[in-house]
Amino acid sequence: MGIVVEGKGLTKRFGDGEAGVLAVDSVDFAIGEGELVMLMGDSGCGKTTLISLLGCILTPNEGELWIDGEQINHPDQDLSVVRREKIGFVFQLFHLLPYLTALENVIVAMDLAGKKSDLAENRAKELLIQVGLEDRLEHRPAQLSGGEKQRVSFARALANNPNIVFADEPTANLDSRQSENLMSLVRELRQEHSTTIAIVTHHEGLRKDADRIVQMKDGRILSE
Amino acid sequence: MNNIFLKDMAYRRTRVVLTAIGITVLILLILFLGGIMNGMRIQATQYVKSTGADIWISAEGSGGAFIGFSMLIEEHMGQLNAARGLEPHSASPLVFAQARPIIRGKPSKAIVVGFRPGKLGGPTHVLEGRMFEKSEFEDYSPEYVPPLQVVVDEKMGLEIGERIVIGGKELKVVGKVKSLMFVLDTPLLFMEIRTAQDVLLGSYPRVNMMIAKSSERVSPEQVAKQFEYSPLKIEVRTLQQTIDDIIDYYVVSPMRAVTFLRVMLWLAAGILVGMITYVTTLEKTQEIGVLKAIGASNMYVMQLILKQVVLISIIGVLCGLILSFIFAAVAPIFVSIHLLESIIVAVISFFVCCFSGYLAARKAVAVDPMLAFRGEI
Repeated sequence: MGIVVEGKGLTKRFGDGEAGVLAVDSVDFAIGEGELVMLMGDSGCGKTTLISLLGCILTPNEGELWIDGEQINHPDQDLSVVRREKIGFVFQLFHLLPYLTALENVIVAMDLAGKKSDLAENRAKELLIQVGLEDRLEHRPAQLSGGEKQRVSFARALANNPNIVFADEPTANLDSRQSENLMSLVRELRQEHSTTIAIVTHHEGLRKDADRIVQMKDGRILSE
Repeated sequence: MNNIFLKDMAYRRTRVVLTAIGITVLILLILFLGGIMNGMRIQATQYVKSTGADIWISAEGSGGAFIGFSMLIEEHMGQLNAARGLEPHSASPLVFAQARPIIRGKPSKAIVVGFRPGKLGGPTHVLEGRMFEKSEFEDYSPEYVPPLQVVVDEKMGLEIGERIVIGGKELKVVGKVKSLMFVLDTPLLFMEIRTAQDVLLGSYPRVNMMIAKSSERVSPEQVAKQFEYSPLKIEVRTLQQTIDDIIDYYVVSPMRAVTFLRVMLWLAAGILVGMITYVTTLEKTQEIGVLKAIGASNMYVMQLILKQVVLISIIGVLCGLILSFIFAAVAPIFVSIHLLESIIVAVISFFVCCFSGYLAARKAVAVDPMLAFRGEI
């Protein structure tokens, strides 16, 4: 099993001096191909900061990041290219663009990657059908339920066939039934696409689905 | 998906429409005020140009024929006619003074132009009715009562045979001439010079100015130069100098505040676009953060916002341009908007709007994609 993402000695500090917070403290962490990893821990323990570092959203103060065997050179590299080609994100609050339909929200990710519009539309439709939203293609986010929005969000994250999908508390705003449905979807998507997924969650009920549970505390990994 | 910026604009249509209206109003005001100034410039010079005179003589110290207080005795006419370089017998006396005529029982504003029929200083033909009668005596005669007749501007709406009162005397409208309104739509009332002296000066035999035409072989400047050391106590100006005097006195100086206002409006248009783009950008920071998190480059984000700024600016500027012509056509005063000048103003305004939009859009580029992990859109 190859390594998809690897962080070595990743450190992230917010602010300086006494008011500064050490959110991630010298973390060594790797995710293998096809793995479903769950990052768990109390609020403020650094889970979201860690996946932001691994997803090239944040620049570490110290440490190295490798994605798909390539070292990320933060100051010089255009990280937007890495984000759109190698990484997919699913956010706690879905963050779909309110002025676009479900279909367009998925297309936009491929548009950013420069995919041809007809190919992008076909792929977006395929993905939305796969997540069970074939009758919601032309609905705007305001017309969708929380669970449906999160499904669109997953479809968007998978649009460019990323090496890894990072999901930040994807079930936090869903009720238990919606959460269970979403996790069934995650299982299906893994089977279908063999996608590597890292999920940040508080939800103990999701443990059973993980290949590996990573427990964090005070910016460090306690156990794997 | 090239039209993502259009979808965003459609979603936020109220703001888009209000911004475009704001730009429209500002561009309309900029062009309209310019049109008023152009109109004043045209009206200020059209009478002077229509006379055919290129030498304008006023009293020494008056600062110009139309500027200061000028009273001349008609005896200068003889010496003027004898001057070299003038067309023979072209010199003509002129009364040009503001008056407060009573028209249909109401005080109005007008400029009385008293001239000798057949000489320089007034129209040579009428559109309707007839020209006023000539005075029986060319020289001043205190006992003589001149013909109390007036030829009016066609746009005054007066009928032939109607009476108007100036200086307590009733004058009969005998003809109408092509409109030659003076600044701010002030109509001209043409009458025999003796009549003008009678109603305005109590028959005092003075004129405000004298005008003449230089001969083809001599330039007006050369003619004016020979009066430099004249003992006549007069000021001589060419047509161009007279026009410059009038424009400066009646248009440029009084409209300085308007010119300043136009610059301020330009600034306001720029600030409006910049401010709204800035506020919209602030409002959309999380959306922008999400776009960047899913791979949008800084260039993509900048283009997304600039496309909106450009489109709103084009709509606002074009609407302002079109409306300025419509408003100019229905305005109660003479407004002259030149197409080329308007296009130049519109293009400059467009770039002012786009530049300020660009300054505000730079804020969007700096948005941290980490924002995608916080709060709600």
